[in-house]
Amino acid sequence: MSEILQYVHKDGFFHRLHPFSKILFIIVVSVMCVFITSIPFLVLMVVALLVIAYASHLHREVIQQLKLVLIMSVVFIIITVLTMPNGATLGYLIPQGVPVIGGSIAITDGAIGIGLILALRFMVLIFAFQLFLISTQPRDLVHAMEKLHMPIDYILMFILALRFIPTLQIEGQRIHEAQLARGYNPGTGMIGKIKSVAPIVVPLVSNALLRSNVLGLTIDMRGYRTGIRTHVRERTFCTGDYAMMGGLTVTASGFVVIAIFASGLIF
Amino acid sequence: MIELKDVSYTYPHTVQEALHRLSLVLEPGRCIMVTGPSGAGKTTLCLAACGILCHEYGGKKSGLVTINGRDVSAYTGLSEIAKNIGIVFDDAEAQMIFTTVEEEILSALEYRGLTPEDIEKRLASIMEVTYLTELKDRSPHNLSGGQKQRAALAATLALGNDILILDEPTSELDEHATRRIVEILSNLKKQGKTLLLVEHKYAHFRDMIDTLVVMEHGAISAIGAPEEVLKDERIRRIVIPDFTGIRNGAAPALSAFSPAISIRNLSYSYDEVPALHDVSIEISAGEFVAIVGENGSGKTTLVKQFNRLLTPTSGDVLIRGKNTRECTITDLARDVGLVFQNPDHMFFADTVKDEIAFGLENLGIKNKNDVIDAALDEVGLLHTKTLYPRWLSRGERQRLAIACVVAMQPAIIVLDEPTTGLDGDEARLVMEILKNLQVKGHTIIVITHNRDIARYCADRMITMDRGRVISDTRVVVE
Repeated sequence: MSEILQYVHKDGFFHRLHPFSKILFIIVVSVMCVFITSIPFLVLMVVALLVIAYASHLHREVIQQLKLVLIMSVVFIIITVLTMPNGATLGYLIPQGVPVIGGSIAITDGAIGIGLILALRFMVLIFAFQLFLISTQPRDLVHAMEKLHMPIDYILMFILALRFIPTLQIEGQRIHEAQLARGYNPGTGMIGKIKSVAPIVVPLVSNALLRSNVLGLTIDMRGYRTGIRTHVRERTFCTGDYAMMGGLTVTASGFVVIAIFASGLIF
Repeated sequence: MIELKDVSYTYPHTVQEALHRLSLVLEPGRCIMVTGPSGAGKTTLCLAACGILCHEYGGKKSGLVTINGRDVSAYTGLSEIAKNIGIVFDDAEAQMIFTTVEEEILSALEYRGLTPEDIEKRLASIMEVTYLTELKDRSPHNLSGGQKQRAALAATLALGNDILILDEPTSELDEHATRRIVEILSNLKKQGKTLLLVEHKYAHFRDMIDTLVVMEHGAISAIGAPEEVLKDERIRRIVIPDFTGIRNGAAPALSAFSPAISIRNLSYSYDEVPALHDVSIEISAGEFVAIVGENGSGKTTLVKQFNRLLTPTSGDVLIRGKNTRECTITDLARDVGLVFQNPDHMFFADTVKDEIAFGLENLGIKNKNDVIDAALDEVGLLHTKTLYPRWLSRGERQRLAIACVVAMQPAIIVLDEPTTGLDGDEARLVMEILKNLQVKGHTIIVITHNRDIARYCADRMITMDRGRVISDTRVVVE
């Protein structure tokens, strides 16, 4: 089973970057995608992220998220069509030929546009965070956060939240199999998911709580919370970092210039 | 050195003492092995000995625990105690914090006040001692059970402490992985480390144990040199599982014309990783079959085909004449009951009775109350009917998992490592229950690392290695 959002051991461009460069990358990309409302520019950002992923040999891992991203995109578009009708009507969700309710729920170009913007923003954020997390060892992340003077307990909490993702993923699969073997058939779709809550989620949460107790004790007994650390194998800034910083500076500056002098191009 | 004097402890919201006036001295360079039934207080003893009970747990405490002559309550917290003691918990997976084996060990080394050169030297040495050098870049989540245990042990060794507490370090490991852990611990003892070991596999650790402690109901019921302790027949049965005589019950006549399971040229791959290669087996109705083999040999992958949790990549599996490809998992649950290694993966109901009723409702079985009573009676748990399943001891939970499956009245019952974490008496009890079920006409298939189970309980032993059946023999009655 492939692990979601977990570090992948490879030697690519993104792996060699200093965590600070990657954190800056995440900040710039997140800010830009939140402010940009131009669909072509958002598409450009998605393409740029895929190119970076390819250059860093991480395209397979990033593309694995495509199914989730596409499902969420459809959900976003449906929600905006239902809740934000705006602009010219392109058609109706319920065809006009249907008796009584036919012709209701208009599909408007404005709603589809907003849905697409939300979907593209979601895509940009997912791909960017995926690139960051799968290329950064938690140890490097701890060091970077320590240098930013974040309290050690908060750093450990963040690391453990990430670490629990594969645990819950694997444990959930085992529990699901154990209940299926008892003849359990919750059905598919949303109703199935709701029905499966107790038999799957109760053991999952109970087991996860036990695990988190052991994990907390392990952290204490290994002395991580003392905060007194010998600096070994620290990441140093390399050529790639300077290139990344340069690229981000140019991109961010261009973004600000356009925002000030050419509003309407991307907003 | 650790000393416990008259230690009693009751967990919050409970009334029964988990430890009762327990006294024990762990002297430098010595190895104490603690064993006993599940729920006897072995893990609580470990928590008490390393100060976790004192600093992290509520509940009622009395008595004195000292580490290297100093009262545990005088330490500022676990971080200070961790400079003296290393502990490896029974759940190796839960102790994996980072994303590669090397990172896991290196991170533990960074907080010991060593120079970078010493860290690199010690890292290389620990990985060599624990045979992890070749696995250094692997994700701990994708390691086998034995490899995970070694990684957890290595991260604890990184602390460089002289006292090590290990809670069931080999409970889910096969023979080979267990021997490797024994070898590592034996070498550590020779280097002068002090070891407190909670274990059920006495035979494997026999040569390195100085003192054997048997716990029951939160107290020590026997302590001393192993050979002295084992002179008591009752204690011996707790420490060393004895499966002799289980097969003596009358086995039902096998019908060569009604195979319960027919596996024909079965191959299976996880994505593109082959797990089973061209396996062909015929199991008759009423047989008691033990499937043995090392971790990763394909045993669990094989039995998951029986109820279509996995579907063959090629070949066929026929259950009582029905091809699994043409059946749903729910259909097959009527014929095949599967008890997984960890019973806690299935329990979610508020009472033992409701837990069993879940399977019956799924299959639409009537007369629920009678069926539940009969199943609980079969496994000796009728008195626990109204209790919360997770309050039961490990051995009782294992038997409840069997009852959940027995109540569904499948002709074939498959159990994955049913004696994991159980003491000698509990393991024998589980095997006797399975033998009785065979006598009543069920086909029993047990996956096990314990060859004594195959030798003394099963009629037939199938050995697997790297996804293939390498031997399939009738067990000769001894």
